[in-house]
Amino acid sequence: MLTDELQTLARRAEDAIQNTKSVKELDDLSIELLGRKGALTTALRGLASVSAEERPKIGALANEIKQKLETRIAVQRSQLAELGMAERLQQEREDVTEPGTLPVHGHLHLMTQAMNEITDIFARAGFTRMRFPEVEWDWYAFEALNMPKDHPARDDWETFFMEAPEHEQSGKMILTPHTTSGTARLLEAQELPIRVINIAKTYRRQIDMTHTPMFHQFDGVYVDRGVTVANLLGILDYFVKEFFGHDRKTRIRPYHFRFTEPSFEVDISCGVCAGTGFIGKDKCRTCKRGWLELGGAGMVHPNVLKAAKLDPKVYSAALFGFGVERTYMMKEGLTLGDIRLLYKNDVRFLEQF
Amino acid sequence: MNILISYEWLKDYVDLKESPEQFAARVSVSSVGVEKLYPQGEDLRGIVLGQIKTIDAHPDPKVTGLRIVSVDVGHKKHAAIVCGGSNLFVDSFVAVAVPGARVRWHGEGELVELQPTVIRGVQSDGMICAANEIGLFDAFPHAEKEILVLDDVIAEISNTGKKKRVIKPGLPLADVLGLSQDIVMDIEVTTNRPDAFSLVGLAREAATILQRPFLWKDRVLSDAAQTLPALSVSVKEKKICPRAMFIRVDGVKVGHSPWWLKRRLLSAGQRPINNLVDITNYVMLELGRPMHVFDADKLQGELTVRRAKDGESLEALDGKTYQLSDKHIVVADENGPQSIAGIMGGEHSAVTRDTTSVIFECATWDPVVIRRMSHDLNLTSDAQRLFEKGLSTESCPQGLARSIELCLQLAGGEVASRVTDECVEPYVAKKYTLSSDEASMLIGIPFKARDMAKTLTRLGFEVTAEGHTVQATVPWWRDHDIESGRDLVEEVARVYGYTNIKPQFPAGLATHALAADLRWERRLRDVVSGVGWTETYTYSFVPRSLFELSGFDPSRMLRVRNPLTADFEFMRTSLIPSLLQVVADNQERKPILHLFEIAHVYFGHAANELPTEQSQLTAMVMNPQNVWREAKGLAERVLSEMGFMKIEWKRLETDRLWHPGRCVQAFCGEKLLATVGELHPRLIESFKLNAPVAMVDIPLGTLVSSARATKPYRPIAAFPSVKRDVAFVISQERTVQEIVQVIRATSKLASQVEWFDTYRGEGVPADKKSLAFHLDFSTNDRTLEAQEVDAEMKKIEEALNTIFQAEMRV
Repeated sequence: MLTDELQTLARRAEDAIQNTKSVKELDDLSIELLGRKGALTTALRGLASVSAEERPKIGALANEIKQKLETRIAVQRSQLAELGMAERLQQEREDVTEPGTLPVHGHLHLMTQAMNEITDIFARAGFTRMRFPEVEWDWYAFEALNMPKDHPARDDWETFFMEAPEHEQSGKMILTPHTTSGTARLLEAQELPIRVINIAKTYRRQIDMTHTPMFHQFDGVYVDRGVTVANLLGILDYFVKEFFGHDRKTRIRPYHFRFTEPSFEVDISCGVCAGTGFIGKDKCRTCKRGWLELGGAGMVHPNVLKAAKLDPKVYSAALFGFGVERTYMMKEGLTLGDIRLLYKNDVRFLEQF
Repeated sequence: MNILISYEWLKDYVDLKESPEQFAARVSVSSVGVEKLYPQGEDLRGIVLGQIKTIDAHPDPKVTGLRIVSVDVGHKKHAAIVCGGSNLFVDSFVAVAVPGARVRWHGEGELVELQPTVIRGVQSDGMICAANEIGLFDAFPHAEKEILVLDDVIAEISNTGKKKRVIKPGLPLADVLGLSQDIVMDIEVTTNRPDAFSLVGLAREAATILQRPFLWKDRVLSDAAQTLPALSVSVKEKKICPRAMFIRVDGVKVGHSPWWLKRRLLSAGQRPINNLVDITNYVMLELGRPMHVFDADKLQGELTVRRAKDGESLEALDGKTYQLSDKHIVVADENGPQSIAGIMGGEHSAVTRDTTSVIFECATWDPVVIRRMSHDLNLTSDAQRLFEKGLSTESCPQGLARSIELCLQLAGGEVASRVTDECVEPYVAKKYTLSSDEASMLIGIPFKARDMAKTLTRLGFEVTAEGHTVQATVPWWRDHDIESGRDLVEEVARVYGYTNIKPQFPAGLATHALAADLRWERRLRDVVSGVGWTETYTYSFVPRSLFELSGFDPSRMLRVRNPLTADFEFMRTSLIPSLLQVVADNQERKPILHLFEIAHVYFGHAANELPTEQSQLTAMVMNPQNVWREAKGLAERVLSEMGFMKIEWKRLETDRLWHPGRCVQAFCGEKLLATVGELHPRLIESFKLNAPVAMVDIPLGTLVSSARATKPYRPIAAFPSVKRDVAFVISQERTVQEIVQVIRATSKLASQVEWFDTYRGEGVPADKKSLAFHLDFSTNDRTLEAQEVDAEMKKIEEALNTIFQAEMRV
């Protein structure tokens, strides 16, 4: 009798377990079946009326049923859990093409990025960045640089002059047209040797697609005993490879500046046509016959060393000066045609970089 | 400055074997920069030489002005061409465009491809071209309806040159004209080398670099004319005109120049005028030696080189009239100025078709005077560009001799005066020495004195070598450019070839320390941009109007004496006006703006001193809400980054720029660290801003010496702290800073005091506010008991009550 009762209970319990729809329901059912006040316990209360021989058999059966139901419950629990997870994941499914929440971020100006990069490249090579006055005396900007009084750069229509009295020795007060005025100060300080990259704002009376009245230059200067053109070439080659890429070549050509002798124009091989001057059969539009003009360089003129009271027979100096804007705009991929955009400060421009 | 040079022409002066490409590649790295190569005659593709055989009327009697012309174009069958030309003659050589050629209809508009056409019912096999239809108008000017007749050119070409050329109809016109073999090079010449701004100068460079024979022979003025009468000349400005030479030639015949000369002028971008004028331009291109030629019959009395008088004027060859003053130098006759010295001749004494006597002028001028005159008159010319670089007085006899030679050859006549030579002083060539050690040390490769001497000799120096030293006499054409022995190093090194020098990077350590301002500028740019502010770069000079609009007084600022425009006039003492302008410019593009800039400001100066240039950090936020707190937060972030721990905030309510109720300054002791606040509502109106603007202004340059990049470590509490939230109802006048100071002074166990809310409104009396704080209590040797913290809270409550009559709400 009791055996039948237990068998029926087991069958029903198995069906009930099978039919549970949630873990919660299964937990409740589990207590209902196997708890201290559960169906199985209740059924076993009838054990008292069973004969002594049968009692162990029924006891064994009850244990067997209990274990079986526990196993069933465990299986059902894991099935339900899996089902629940799947459902949850389905519910939590997102349109992952929606844009993310951008972290708060501002933008560094292109000129800052350019100057940081230049500073770092030279720092790795043992050249320290320095900066010198923008409002400067004629002496440092021109006179000490071997530029004669009547040099065109000293005319009113090329350089900005300040409304200020002249200095007895140093002459007129101007806005420096080149960072080389800083180099003149550096030489004059006579802390030798010198490995310095001098980056600063410079000013000239010109505004068009490729000129703004305020711009930036960097002057690299290396002074020691026995500095050679080969050293200058080494520095230029290092910079070009670091800044533009290791596949780029550097060459120097004769040029003319008052404060260097010999003077050079520095060219770099064109990155668009790989220095060939041609793209297929057509002439490269970016460069001149495979080369791009980077800027000026040279060996500091003996008169400039003398003006700084350095003996040109003992010391020689390699010097180069490039425009930051121009140099940065020569980087491929920037394609910025009009330099004036840099100083218009349109947020639609600034936030692109 | 750039010059256009025909490669074929250049070969007259140097025996070149290289292709133009090889020439360009090699010469560019040792001398002038050959920037571009232009093949010639490409526009004449499809244009052939034709000879007119018969000319017939158009079959339709109603058609007038059109003829049917049969032209021999080299095929058995003559081409039948319908043509409206007014100058058609049998046997004339003409330019025929065959279908496929590109022409410019009536010399106007774009080039179009010629198609076979039927004109008024008659098939036309091509077109007989006018010069303007094939880009040759400058060489062969003509009247409307006149076609290009090439008979004179064919005659010239057939009879000149080493071999007699047979010119047949059907030949490509570019071949006939000698264009198809030529390449024009666009060459950049540096300003110190006017000698190389010429065919002969470039040939000398090429001959030296490529080691080819140099073919030019200097011309010498003949003595024969010295028995002839002298010209009446007087140079009043000998300093400005150190040498002037004149000579008269009578009986010249003015007319067109021959094709060979026209072609050379055209290749250099010069328009042929007439043979005499063309000769002066030719000599300028050939020798880099500007010349002028006057119609001698238009000149009266003595020729004078003098300053112009106020009120004098001159109609120059460009057709414009120039008002002159004593700043300007002229060549004048007794009637007044006849040319602007070194720049441009006058229209009155110009050579015309009727001229029969001419005077050639060949002079040198002070380069600075020429440059300033040119700028002052806004007048430039090829001659002026050369003179302002500086030409040798020794160039004059060459130029004059060559001009006379060409004049007699091309225009006939005979020399009618002796050479008048007004020369200030006899010419002394400069000499410099150079040792091979000096060159080797500077360039970084070994040079031998023998090789140096060889190079210098080829360049035209007279050289004597002794041991390791060479002494070089500077040739006159380099006398403005070679100024010392160092200049000789360049000559030797560049001819040797810079591309042959192996780069040697000089290894070494940094020699100078990185300055604190540069270090901090960089770090703070990263910090400020990193928290969402965008960097601007504005001009260092600011217009007066912007300063005044911002409430600044520009009268005490450094002013640019010669600003480019009024936009770039005053050196700024603050970045705020510039940034306000940027905000105003951008507010329609973006309603919320966070901008900053780090740049120099320029403060007043004593006599004989430069202004102080100081680095300034200014940030500006425009936002409809909460701007003031955003600005304050940024300032706190920056000052904390700079290691300023003990900051005292003091209200600023007396400045015109800032909102008096929302402006505060941070101090560390006496030192001003920052000014933070909202822009005064008046300025919001002046700049027509859409929303409140707040600013941070930090005098970075004055702070960097006391800023600290390394922050001290403070031990982390070993025992948990006890947290209490508390609020105090207190008078409106009291500040958070005061409360915090009292709490800290009262309780040593209060390890953190953090404001989190200010409340005004229901439950708080109208003249009061409620300030809420998070308090942390801790000590470093144990966990505090609740009773200890209660005691501390009691102390704080009492202190605040006693000092500020504050009431605590828990």
